[in-house]
Amino acid sequence: MKRLFTLIALTLLIYNARAQERIILLNEGMWQADNGRLSYFENGAIVSNQWFRDKNGYKLGDTPNDIIQVNENLIAIAINWSNIVQFIKPDGTAVAATEDIPNNRRLCTDGKYVYVTSYGHECGTLYGFTWYFNKGFVAKIDLSTFKVIAACEVGYEPEGIALYKGHLFIANTGGYAEQEGDHGFETTVSIVNAATMQLVKNVDTHVPNLYGEMSQSGRYLCINSPGDYYWTPACGLIFDCEKAFTSNDCFVKFNYPATYNTTTLDGKFLVIGSAFSYLTGQYEFSQLTIEPWTFIKTRGQSGLTHTLPGTLKANFASMDQPYGIYVNPYTGYIYGTDAGSFEGAGYLYQWSPEGQLLGKHKVYINPGHFLAIPPDGYYDGISSLTAEPSSGREETYDLQGRKIDASSLKKGTIYIKDKKKILYNQ
Amino acid sequence: MNYKLNHYYLQAILVTVLAFAVTASASAQNPTDSIKELHEVTVTSKQPVRTIATSQTLGGADLQALSTTSVADALKYFSGVQIKDYGGLGGLKTINVRSLGAQHVGVYVDGIRITNAQNGTVDLGKFSLSSMESVSLYNANKLDYCQSASEYASGATVYLQTRRPTHDSLSVQLRNASFHTWMAKLNGQFNWKGWQGFVDGEYCTSRGDYPFRYQSQYENTTGRRTNSDIRYGRVEAALFKGGFSSHIYYYDSERGCPGGIVRRLSGKYENVGREWDRDFFVQASYQDRFFNKILFKANTKYTNEYLRYCTKYPENQNTARVDNHYRQQDAYTALCAAYQPWSWLSFSTSYDIRYSILKADLKRFDDVKRVDQKLVFAAQMNWHDIQVAASALHQRYSDWTFANAGAAEPLDKWTPAVSLAYTFYGVTLRWWYKEIFRAPTLNDLYYTQVGNRNLKPEDTKQLNLGVEYHLSRKQWSMDVQADIYQNKIENRIVCLPLKGTYTWSMMNYGYTFCRGLNATLKGHYHPGQWNFSLLTSFTWQRDVDRTDPEDKDMYDKPICYSPCFSSGVTAIAGWRTLLFSTSYLYVGERMWSKADPEDVLEPYHNIDMKLSYTHNIKKISLGLCFEVCDVLDEQYEHIPRYPMPGRNYKLTLSFGI
Repeated sequence: MKRLFTLIALTLLIYNARAQERIILLNEGMWQADNGRLSYFENGAIVSNQWFRDKNGYKLGDTPNDIIQVNENLIAIAINWSNIVQFIKPDGTAVAATEDIPNNRRLCTDGKYVYVTSYGHECGTLYGFTWYFNKGFVAKIDLSTFKVIAACEVGYEPEGIALYKGHLFIANTGGYAEQEGDHGFETTVSIVNAATMQLVKNVDTHVPNLYGEMSQSGRYLCINSPGDYYWTPACGLIFDCEKAFTSNDCFVKFNYPATYNTTTLDGKFLVIGSAFSYLTGQYEFSQLTIEPWTFIKTRGQSGLTHTLPGTLKANFASMDQPYGIYVNPYTGYIYGTDAGSFEGAGYLYQWSPEGQLLGKHKVYINPGHFLAIPPDGYYDGISSLTAEPSSGREETYDLQGRKIDASSLKKGTIYIKDKKKILYNQ
Repeated sequence: MNYKLNHYYLQAILVTVLAFAVTASASAQNPTDSIKELHEVTVTSKQPVRTIATSQTLGGADLQALSTTSVADALKYFSGVQIKDYGGLGGLKTINVRSLGAQHVGVYVDGIRITNAQNGTVDLGKFSLSSMESVSLYNANKLDYCQSASEYASGATVYLQTRRPTHDSLSVQLRNASFHTWMAKLNGQFNWKGWQGFVDGEYCTSRGDYPFRYQSQYENTTGRRTNSDIRYGRVEAALFKGGFSSHIYYYDSERGCPGGIVRRLSGKYENVGREWDRDFFVQASYQDRFFNKILFKANTKYTNEYLRYCTKYPENQNTARVDNHYRQQDAYTALCAAYQPWSWLSFSTSYDIRYSILKADLKRFDDVKRVDQKLVFAAQMNWHDIQVAASALHQRYSDWTFANAGAAEPLDKWTPAVSLAYTFYGVTLRWWYKEIFRAPTLNDLYYTQVGNRNLKPEDTKQLNLGVEYHLSRKQWSMDVQADIYQNKIENRIVCLPLKGTYTWSMMNYGYTFCRGLNATLKGHYHPGQWNFSLLTSFTWQRDVDRTDPEDKDMYDKPICYSPCFSSGVTAIAGWRTLLFSTSYLYVGERMWSKADPEDVLEPYHNIDMKLSYTHNIKKISLGLCFEVCDVLDEQYEHIPRYPMPGRNYKLTLSFGI
């Protein structure tokens, strides 16, 4: 009997050590119902569907839209209708919250700063005054103070944001075009220098409404366009950031929307889309795998297949309302969500990296955004730790992302400097 | 695009007009018959089969004794009614009867329907009780001998009966209430040579800045409602003579549109949206009878509504900046005729036609015109103790628009209703069945980026079994009724996101099944100069989702916002002109999402009290009234995160001659 228990324990240990799947799932909830929630999923089971509340004793807020990992100890969440960017630790406890970016949408980071797109027109700053913009903007939050230190106007209603070689690539939607009437849908990707927060240029894609999820695979972006829902059909774009520095001919269009998309471990995009027109009331469902380098190189002639790994295609087709797709960047496990009836709980699906369905788990309303927590050992490897600071000029941060004065550094403590961990021993 | 009325309708119009002409010529030949002054047309031998329909009425002293401001306040005391209220004086107030949905409830002023082709709902907060004789709720519909087809065309009907003055008078009221609310009211009425009429005007302003609090395991939020102010003016007048009645109404308001209370770090980004409404209608109705066997009625109405919603303000820097204007016009006529060969039998028909036009300055929107025609054939029998009523209603909706893909296909449909009742020893046992649908509204079909022109109508089937008993003695009376019912709703029209897109659209989705029990008990006792009344209502209901048997999370689970239990008790005591009333309302727990058992609106208990005294000096009357609403200061909601006001006070002074 003892042996049997030992065997079971060992098996579980091996399984856990192998998988180490930890996912934070953002449930948007319903607009103005103040019921945005985090679900926490670990090794094949939902630990909690109100993880933020459990950890902090209060509610997350209304309609959270995006979640990213900033560094080992910091996660940022854009909570749209609460006008808050919430910072939490990977254990779920709240660290800080920034209110100065109303109607915030999507996030990206370089580990020192968090960049946030906003549909709003005003942005509060560290210095106590407010910037006003006619169109939308992208704001830069300094993690040492959790305050906005710079902002830059881009297009109307900017949505997806990605960082490549010190530049921010922002997909503009013009999503309020139908309501506001004083502008149309945007067709541009704005490029902003992340250091200076100055607009470098706008690349016109000639495709309206660059709305929704935007995945990044190195130099390539996968951008969705739902069209105008009437005459202009939905489509998708593969955007080459590297090429964009020198040429505006830096994207290739494909005739399927990329409503939900994600990046695989080998750099491909998995894409779920639906083209819809109010004129016909019909929609066309599509599921794609795109190899961006081939797709760009061949100008769209190859690199796109109507396949998804394993049973994903059939599983997504059977969902009531697909609401997200994600590949764990550390393990390759695949996740998808079904929002169901929108009144009831949605479901989280988990597949193996090969696409074998492993399970389906009840979560909360409108589960749409994922974040994988690195497996144990990901950050604490000595290989990623330098013994000395690489140069003396960069700022030093603690593991919570806070800026630390040179005079306050303690010997034997790990800090972040120049995007690397250092063991301070002076 | 087909502007032609089909032959069927032309025939129907001819038949109805012919019936009208025959009755009119009969009237000319028998002048003595037409001299009669009729308040309401009734047959001489037997009352219309009133108890065959399930109805509840609040009228006269009972209505005045309640602490109510608007029609919505009064309706919450009825059994089977669920109120949706976004809070405050300015919040949209609609009712839902037996979980059919607000758009299945027809609201009628003196028998003519208040319509809103744009969204199909009527904001009951816009209608005052001061000019009303009674408020009645009919499940299915009222059953009179001569009714317009529109009166058969909704799942439940609310009748607002305007008061016909019996004497000349002039009165003024001034009110101060909590949350910086001021109201002034003027009413003048006359009764002269068979003509009766009144003019009623009201002006109200309120800051609506009531305090609220949310206390739970996860929050302790307190605050004061902002952007919840309202200013409105209402003027209406009515003129009656015999079978003729007319009504003119104008309402003008400006209000703030507060949002839901959600997590914010400060009050920095408040909602600033504002709404303006201007509603006008004029209506007239004439009814008469000839040869004691033929009844006819003609109704006509013109409505003009304007709505503006604006968030385009300098202080709004964080949400969409919109400034939209909507204009609706609506012209309506109905001709009804009934033939009563014997006192116990009647046949009736009615043809109604309504022309609506909606204009809006939305993008990708074009004017929408709708012609809505209705034709009904009905028969009623009231033979000895047996009562039977049956009707067949045909509705045809035709739209014209250049918006997007053009108009929806015309909608044509017949729906039946049948009622049976048997009375023994004063107890009436009734059974009725009704099928009816609601046509997709113009918003459902054509609204920019949401509308779906392929929508089917939302169908309902109602089945009811009830019992009613009246007892009346010299000093006291009692009225008790109980009904069990079953409703099925198919092809619900809901706004849903589309599979695999970020877009939302109106869709036909869902099937709900509802069973319930409504019961009311009323008692009145009048010893000497005292008056005592007790009004109670009780509702039990199980309203479940039957959409997808495969969906274990949703199938057979309760529908959101539908309480299992609700009840109300009102006690009124009066001595001469001193009146005290207290009412208690209980509404049970309601789910607001099916995702988590914690997503519930807590049950609430609402106690209101009212004390009033009128002092008469010769022909002058002076009145004072003090009301406390929500005595327990209970914090409750009808919509999650839209708190209702807690305890509040009203003090009213009145002067009349």
